[in-house]
Amino acid sequence: MPVAIVPVAEPPPSAAAAGGNPGRLRSERPNPETLHPALWRGHQLGRPVGHGVSTGFHELDEQLPGGGWPRRALSELLLPHLGIGEIRLLAPALVAVQQAGRLVMLFDPPAVLCGWALAGMGLAVEQLLLIQSASHVSVDPVRPGPSRRPVGAPARLWALEQALKSGHVGAVLAWLPPCLSPDRLRRLQLAAQAHDGPAFVLREAAAQAAPSASPLRLGLRAAGVDQLAVNVFKRRGPPLLQPVHLRLPPMLPSMAARRAAAAAKVEVMAPAVSVRLPSATFVNLA
Amino acid sequence: MLWIGLHLPWLSLESFAATLPPSALDQPAALVDAHRVSAANQAAREAGVLPGMKRGTALALVPHLLFGEADPARDAGSLQAVAYAALAFTPMVCLSPPAGVLLEVGTTLRYFGGIDALMQRLDNTLAPLGHRVHRARAPTAQGAAWLSQWRDEVVCADLTALHHTLDRVPMDVLDSTQIHLDTLVGMGLRHVGELRRLPRDGLARRFGEALLAELDSAWGTRPDPREPVVLPPVFEGHVELFTRADTADQLRHGTEVLLARLVAWLSARHAFVRRFHLLLRHERRRRVEGAAVTVVDVALAEPSRDAAHLQSLLHERLAALDMPAPALELSLHAHDIVHQPPPNTDLFPTPRSEHAGLVRLIERLQARLGADQVQRLVRVADHRPECGGLVMPYEPGSPPRPPEPAVVPRRPTRRQARTSGRHAPLPAKAAVVPRACPVEPERSVPPSRPVWLMAEPVPLPELQSRPVLEGRPLQLLSGPERIEAGWWDAGLAERDYFIAETTEGALVWVYRARLPLSGEEGWFLHGRYG
Repeated sequence: MPVAIVPVAEPPPSAAAAGGNPGRLRSERPNPETLHPALWRGHQLGRPVGHGVSTGFHELDEQLPGGGWPRRALSELLLPHLGIGEIRLLAPALVAVQQAGRLVMLFDPPAVLCGWALAGMGLAVEQLLLIQSASHVSVDPVRPGPSRRPVGAPARLWALEQALKSGHVGAVLAWLPPCLSPDRLRRLQLAAQAHDGPAFVLREAAAQAAPSASPLRLGLRAAGVDQLAVNVFKRRGPPLLQPVHLRLPPMLPSMAARRAAAAAKVEVMAPAVSVRLPSATFVNLA
Repeated sequence: MLWIGLHLPWLSLESFAATLPPSALDQPAALVDAHRVSAANQAAREAGVLPGMKRGTALALVPHLLFGEADPARDAGSLQAVAYAALAFTPMVCLSPPAGVLLEVGTTLRYFGGIDALMQRLDNTLAPLGHRVHRARAPTAQGAAWLSQWRDEVVCADLTALHHTLDRVPMDVLDSTQIHLDTLVGMGLRHVGELRRLPRDGLARRFGEALLAELDSAWGTRPDPREPVVLPPVFEGHVELFTRADTADQLRHGTEVLLARLVAWLSARHAFVRRFHLLLRHERRRRVEGAAVTVVDVALAEPSRDAAHLQSLLHERLAALDMPAPALELSLHAHDIVHQPPPNTDLFPTPRSEHAGLVRLIERLQARLGADQVQRLVRVADHRPECGGLVMPYEPGSPPRPPEPAVVPRRPTRRQARTSGRHAPLPAKAAVVPRACPVEPERSVPPSRPVWLMAEPVPLPELQSRPVLEGRPLQLLSGPERIEAGWWDAGLAERDYFIAETTEGALVWVYRARLPLSGEEGWFLHGRYG
């Protein structure tokens, strides 16, 4: 039964041999992937122009086209709520961008950021730039003093779009407003083509059902203490059925981590098996 | 001597168009002076409106004709802007009223790389001002003025060529013959050359010495001293709007004209603007008290004289502005300017050009969102997590890599601590860097701080002595870490922190308050590990 799940990333060698006379076919038709860098076959990973920014996680780099976070494109991360390890996932790429002497901009962080924690991940905290675009300050000559007024989604995305379009920002990390329409995202994706660096947009998990123009969509889910399960919903390449499990930099002291792991083993083993079974059955039927 | 004569044939119409909203620019428009049409734009002339017509006749031809008053002061202002723009090329720039500017460029030809390159740059500089310009070159100032009034692109390299050309120039270009024009035409004179060949003493007797003087200075036989234009030390531009402007879009055209004049003035001073004000003078409303003038102050992080950049900044500021009443007049003032060498241009992007682009991006964001919406994080050496960081507005002028603020550890005496702790009001969080605890920061802060802090600690219910988050009990994994600080100010904190795991596997940071007297009791969620 598990054989059916295997041909996900790489086709088995027997598949090519079973297709009649492969040698003759190959000599007549050129491989599409040699014609143009934007072409790739269904079972291959796409080859974007230029290399991506390494995620810092070997397992994830292997699954992403270009070997890392794409440049000049949006990377969409869907997470159920904040605080499941998303910053630890992105920190290695952001640190690399900062070490290259470029600017990292954060748009509308949903809670207070702790500078010491960011510094602990290796980020240069004082170099980060935070943009709060959720409220505008209007200049009112009659009543002195800034008055804040909330703004709609188009005005909120204006700042992000400007930053992407300028092409001078090293990396962009943006928390998008909920229930964003697909054409707004498409606009951002078009703007991101001028942005030579990773552009992360973080959205709520319910956005998975909505269409999206971003070429990379990942679903994040906590999978235990200091672990993250990354579902690749969309990439330039074959679909990935099973989530990639990442071991994040530990936040717990080592003693506590061992205790937690021992406790988790007892509790989580049985549910883990039951989770995998339905997906295998589904593929087998298909 | 090499004089370039610039003549602006549509000056009065173009200076009138600067006061119009952009939607009215294509409409037929005419200027009236003493109830007669003095100038008409292209659309009006196509409909048959001619200069000299009576107002009623013109209205009969084009019922929706837009009438403006001819205003010599407004024209002079526009002409002065052209003269300022020309000052970037030579110090010897003279006005030749009503619609001419003369430049002596013989001394600066070599610097600009020849007359052709100079004319090209002159065209590029004058283009943003939006005037149609006739250009002529001649060895005398008066000759250049006449030729430019006659037609565009007349070039006379030396005096003999000039004399030959002047023979064919029509009479009506002469200033001093305007009152005698009918007499001269009645005498059968058509061209300047014919006038020049008449006996001089008779001419002087009938038409005055001024006519002879003008002729002689054009021919180059008489010295022609001219007074050059002097740049004012500060820029003040002024536009009176034709219609009332209610929105920022309606102000846009007027501000574009003003900024183009500002940039021309800046390039003549070889300077860059660091700060400028736009004054909007509003309509006075009856019985409504309010500011009749709104001042929009635009400060730049880096001095600039790029009209497009200045315009985008100003437009963002105007878009965020709530106008108390429609605006009638615009004035632009710039007195904070910087003299510095112009930036080198780069063929390929460099770190410096990226830095300049970033500065502009941040300026735009600040102009639209407000200066304190663009922020940076500053760490403060304090054990209490809520005091461990500050969000400071990004300051224009400082590079994006600000230094860490110098925090001087100071141990207050017991008495000071008690008084300030109990009675002093809390300092405003963003404005004042709070006093730090007297402990070295780097060693004492453990690595495991959560990235996300709740703005206010969230109280958690307790179930079987375990905190409960979203209906499910938390599993305490690590702790307690006791934080007991803040006795020196009002924010006393005595807490035991734990790292806990939610049922889905995420880590949260909770604490149990140890201050039963102050009302804080029980479990609180304070952070999430991002």
